[in-house]
Amino acid sequence: MRRKRSIFDLLREYLEEFEEATEELFESFSEKPSWDPESHSLEPLFDVSVSSDNVVVTADMPYADPKSIKIRGVRDNLIEISADMKVKVNFERLGVPHREGEFSCFHCQVPLPVPVDISRAKARLTKGILEIILPREKGYPIKVE
Amino acid sequence: MSTPVEIVEKKPVPEGLTILCGLPDVGLVGAIAVSHITSQLKLNEVAYVRSDLLPPVVVLEKGISRSPIRIVGNSSLMALVSEIAIPTTALHPVIQSIVNWMETKKPKTVISLGGLATPNRQQLIEPKVFGVASNETSIKTLNAQGIEIMERGFLVGPQALILSYCAEKNVPAVALLAEAFYNYPDPEAAAAVIKSLNQIIDLQIDVSELLKKGEEVRLRMRDIMKRTQTELARMQKSREYDVPGFYL
Repeated sequence: MRRKRSIFDLLREYLEEFEEATEELFESFSEKPSWDPESHSLEPLFDVSVSSDNVVVTADMPYADPKSIKIRGVRDNLIEISADMKVKVNFERLGVPHREGEFSCFHCQVPLPVPVDISRAKARLTKGILEIILPREKGYPIKVE
Repeated sequence: MSTPVEIVEKKPVPEGLTILCGLPDVGLVGAIAVSHITSQLKLNEVAYVRSDLLPPVVVLEKGISRSPIRIVGNSSLMALVSEIAIPTTALHPVIQSIVNWMETKKPKTVISLGGLATPNRQQLIEPKVFGVASNETSIKTLNAQGIEIMERGFLVGPQALILSYCAEKNVPAVALLAEAFYNYPDPEAAAAVIKSLNQIIDLQIDVSELLKKGEEVRLRMRDIMKRTQTELARMQKSREYDVPGFYL
């Protein structure tokens, strides 16, 4: 006889389905090229980490010209990074000679997981890796009795 | 029905050689290092991995399809290379089969090259290299060559399985791990592991060219790094940051 499913079974199944759907969605987002021949741009690898005071965004941008880096807030929770490259790179140089296109800049949009004060952000480029430190919006302190 | 994982030899593979492993992992350190060694020593494909557990991918070279996971070598050295991040679900059977195959070749030593994710990597001028091993004899060898041992901690992923299956089979194995970026290709860390490798086996691999073309390497490795990031998350690579709490 089939066992009656408890609320916990249903909840676990629901969570498993949700997890699978999230993973599929995540994979579908990543199924696009990291280059755009129309804008001649490459999408840099980027990373976001959150500490108690800051959100730190880094982006790997080899050949980036430090003077050309632009960072702007698109929305409260989204920043845009762009930079020109010191060299132009075509597909042949990347090892795929059958494709046509030349790239001369980096461009990406980075979602931010928690609210930040973009006006107080600081950025630096070290060895081709851009680091942006965005102070978090302060919440309300809770008094410990 | 085909065997889940097979190592197909294209040429006779000599016994008793050192076998290097450079599989995609943090900073692609091992993959970059072994790719550089393969170019410098002009190693050729001698065998490849065939498996239903891998994604349906081939790599094209001069228009000819090849398996993305291959063993390259010459008469004195073999190297395991992969141009794809091995899916986490396939890691155990794939590495186990590769180690079973290695055992039949009676290797002198298996040396896995890789990275150790280090949060302040950007501030390090020269990444340090640590050694770990599958048995005490191999630890003594690393000590004798002046390699600093990573005494305690967790290893996750291909390196961990290579050491563990080699230990089971009594195949001498070590891993050389350079402090590296977690998410970004790290040719400087790859150069650091090659320098340590030069200390423990007589290879004399020059890393100046690798360091010179570092930016080019980082640009070319972006896509494989991105795919590897997904697998690193799936295998819970961040456990390597954990502090082991068993021996209080």
